[in-house]
Amino acid sequence: MNVDEFVKAFGERFPEAEIRVSENKQPHPKRRVWVEIDREKFHDAMKFVKELDPKAQFSIIIGMDAGDRLLAKYHLEMFWEEGGSLSLVIGTSVPKDDPKLPTVTDIFPSALPYERENQEFLGLFFEGIPDPRRLFLPDDFPEGIYPLRLDETGIKPEMVKNAGHPYRMGGEKK
Amino acid sequence: MRIPPTLSAVLSNLFKKPATNPFPASDPVPTPEGFRGKLNYDVEKCVGCRLCVMVCPAGVIEYVPEVRKVTFWLGRCVFCQQCVDVCPVKALEMSDEFLLATDDKYNDNLRWFKEDEIEELKKKLEEQKKAKGAESQKK
Ligand code: SF4
Ligand code: SF4
Repeated sequence: MNVDEFVKAFGERFPEAEIRVSENKQPHPKRRVWVEIDREKFHDAMKFVKELDPKAQFSIIIGMDAGDRLLAKYHLEMFWEEGGSLSLVIGTSVPKDDPKLPTVTDIFPSALPYERENQEFLGLFFEGIPDPRRLFLPDDFPEGIYPLRLDETGIKPEMVKNAGHPYRMGGEKK
Repeated sequence: MRIPPTLSAVLSNLFKKPATNPFPASDPVPTPEGFRGKLNYDVEKCVGCRLCVMVCPAGVIEYVPEVRKVTFWLGRCVFCQQCVDVCPVKALEMSDEFLLATDDKYNDNLRWFKEDEIEELKKKLEEQKKAKGAESQKK
């Protein structure tokens, strides 16, 4: 399935989704499909992607703080067995006062570490996640602080340490 | 018993010279051309443009506003050479010095342009200013 066929098939199944195709020349010509879809339809959309290509490779979830909403972009590489794979970025967003997404680990089991990462770093929570433990943050890291948040739940200024430049330290003493 | 497949290699290596460099009894392996060793700073040439402060990824460089120069603490340098490439007046260059071990992280060898040097330059600049002021009054 090529880019145009995918856009057609996906657009017919989810007419309300925003679909865009980008094209870059460097470092090698590649067309990439970008999908934006509501969270209510998101789980179905991921299921559909898996049906289109049962061997789709799940790459990563990138979460982002965009003011009053949290964005999540899921990167997948599809139809790689046909050569010249199709690169898909499927995104959704949630309001900050209800930061919940359905887990996709039932469809792509390898999404688990990225969901755990987004839970602890961004405070974006996944309903039905089979293993909600922290992945990277230390166990003594305070609850309710999400390092990648840009708002008041992010890192506090007093948590940021600078190991000091000798010129600065001398300058402060004077 | 099975003969180990490495046996012939081991036996023939027993009769070869060791391929090691017995430093410090000998000189270290020579550095290649373009080697990135300890940073050298030429205070005279520096025009205080602060470009090096901006590109340094490791927080080595601090701007000294009173004398419009920069000061370095190489204890943090990652030898990326970005400051050398960006300096418009070639006040910075990388030497081939790499034996930089020390028991004090603020060792003089790891610092360029220290407090006393800054003070000295400050005095010199003030004197120059005074001299200039006196000259212009004479005119
Ligand atoms: S070589 Fe790199 S790390 Fe070292 S002072 Fe220059 S910019 Fe900073
Ligand atoms: S880039 Fe060169 S001239 Fe500019 S402040 Fe740094 S050392 Fe001085």
